[in-house]
Amino acid sequence: MSDLSHELLVVEDLSTTFNTMGGPLPAVANVSFTLARNETIGIVGESGSGKTVLSRTIMGLQPRTNVSVTGSVLLNGNQMVGASESFKRGLWGTEVAMVFQDPMTSLNPVMRVGKQIDESLRVRLGMSKQDAKARAIELLELVGIPSPAHRYMAYPGQLSGGMRQRVVIAIALAGSPKLLMADEPTTGLDVTIQAQILNLLDELKDRLKMSVVLVTHDLGVVATRTSRIAVMYAGRIVETGSTRDVFTNHRMPYTRALLDSSPKVANASHTRLVTIPGRPPNLLQLSAGCSFAPRCSFATDKCHQERPELQAADEPGHAFACWNPLPTQTEPAPHER
Amino acid sequence: MSNAILIEQASIVEKPEKKAPLGPLFWICVGWIALNFLGAIFANVLPLQNPLYQDYASINAGPSLHHLFGTDDIGRDIFARIVFGSRVSIAVGFGAMVIGFGIGTPLGMLAAYRRGRFDTFMTAFMYILLAFPAIIATIAVLSFWTPRSLLKIIIVIGLASVPLVYRVIRTAALAVSTKDYIIAAKVQGATDRRILLKELLPNIAPIGVSFLLIGVATVIALEGTLAFLGLSVSPPTPSWGNMINESRTVLQDNPWLAIFPSLALCLFLLSLNFIGDRLRNHFDVTEVKL
Repeated sequence: MSDLSHELLVVEDLSTTFNTMGGPLPAVANVSFTLARNETIGIVGESGSGKTVLSRTIMGLQPRTNVSVTGSVLLNGNQMVGASESFKRGLWGTEVAMVFQDPMTSLNPVMRVGKQIDESLRVRLGMSKQDAKARAIELLELVGIPSPAHRYMAYPGQLSGGMRQRVVIAIALAGSPKLLMADEPTTGLDVTIQAQILNLLDELKDRLKMSVVLVTHDLGVVATRTSRIAVMYAGRIVETGSTRDVFTNHRMPYTRALLDSSPKVANASHTRLVTIPGRPPNLLQLSAGCSFAPRCSFATDKCHQERPELQAADEPGHAFACWNPLPTQTEPAPHER
Repeated sequence: MSNAILIEQASIVEKPEKKAPLGPLFWICVGWIALNFLGAIFANVLPLQNPLYQDYASINAGPSLHHLFGTDDIGRDIFARIVFGSRVSIAVGFGAMVIGFGIGTPLGMLAAYRRGRFDTFMTAFMYILLAFPAIIATIAVLSFWTPRSLLKIIIVIGLASVPLVYRVIRTAALAVSTKDYIIAAKVQGATDRRILLKELLPNIAPIGVSFLLIGVATVIALEGTLAFLGLSVSPPTPSWGNMINESRTVLQDNPWLAIFPSLALCLFLLSLNFIGDRLRNHFDVTEVKL
């Protein structure tokens, strides 16, 4: 159908602005990235950094009014920005599918889970009732649900949170999508279940040759499961690169602050967590400078007045937006702390 | 993050599907409603006294073997009138609600789901109707739309209830339509019609049914008000509502005339509500009973 060499997802200069009573609110601003086939990209940022809006914009899920989207989202060659609802409906499920944050609210409480899976098989893929049921049970098995034929008849209220999230994943996989958007897929789950679900996603990605966009605020989640990471702050990507570069050779002070504020197993017990002072900026009153400047210990006058654009770092594919980047591991410090 | 330890089976919790029992009271209520319906349907063939026959020998009589519930101020048998009166009351109560819900539910669901301009205009329109007292509108229409018939009364009351139904359904649907599972269904490629019927409707049904039962009660009482104003079925024909209204003038001499139709209305509605409540519990799959 389409040429396998090109990227599956190309996001270019994407901005999503909500027109609110208080003026335009740039929830996502000038975001660009690409995603190859069978690759996982992690989108990381704290609450309110625009991760969820970004993932919904890529899906083409915006409210009908009071929002303007500019830029381009090419999904397997299909332009999602400005596409009609019926065009997008043709792509949803088979080209792109979504795993939602909270398995407690993303399943219809009054419909048997099996029915929720074979709905899309029958409607979208035109399967017969029997085929759809057989396939749904297969999918339940694929996502690691024991005695799937029995669970097919269960209502969501009869399943635990981890099981429900597996069902949500099964529903997303029903149409064999090429791209899976996972918006904080483990936030609503216990830590032990989180690891199971993430490993499951990772395994399924390889088995079904999917690409995954993994949106999270938890760096631990993306560390081992993504090949690349984009760090978002106030609606912009402030650093992007291979997972390895972002973890070991980050240049943007915000990335450092984010890494410092995750708990580490190596720390002695009762070590206080490092926090980032201040709060994320009010998106209605952004300054002309770097959005992180008010919270940054390296900020200079220039940071407050002029916004840094993404600039390439030494490693290929690694870029950061900062006037006073942290030193690389080999290079001496350009500024004293 | 350590993810070496996977407790694959630990997350499986067996929660058996157990339905709440309906209980004997439920069946008593079902029996009572059935009895009312049978009475209404077969009133003509049942061995009842003539509900219109005026027995001047016994006026305002209390309950006796001859007149089970006593007689009214012009000597008509109250028991017979209650059984015949259930025809009008049940027909108006359910008929008007069928019209109200038949129009109000689709509009409310569509407005909540589609939002945008349709919602704005529809909601503004319905609120304007709500601001205008429904009883005055009903009186006005019924005064001019002659000759009066039961069907016309049902239609007018039904239409008057549309804004109320619309408001309740829209609010309920609004809460459901922002839930993730609606978006999830959408991004699976489900059509709007499918989402409305299969995702939205079953989730607002409990609220709708509760409101329906309250609506039936309100409408039966409203029919009584209209009857009092001479705008319902013409006088000799009994209905629970107009019997209660007629009783007001003789309340001190003959309280039975007020008590029995009120009791009939009250038990009928109580049974309906109880049945609705038990059914909701019985078929509720959102809460797990252990």
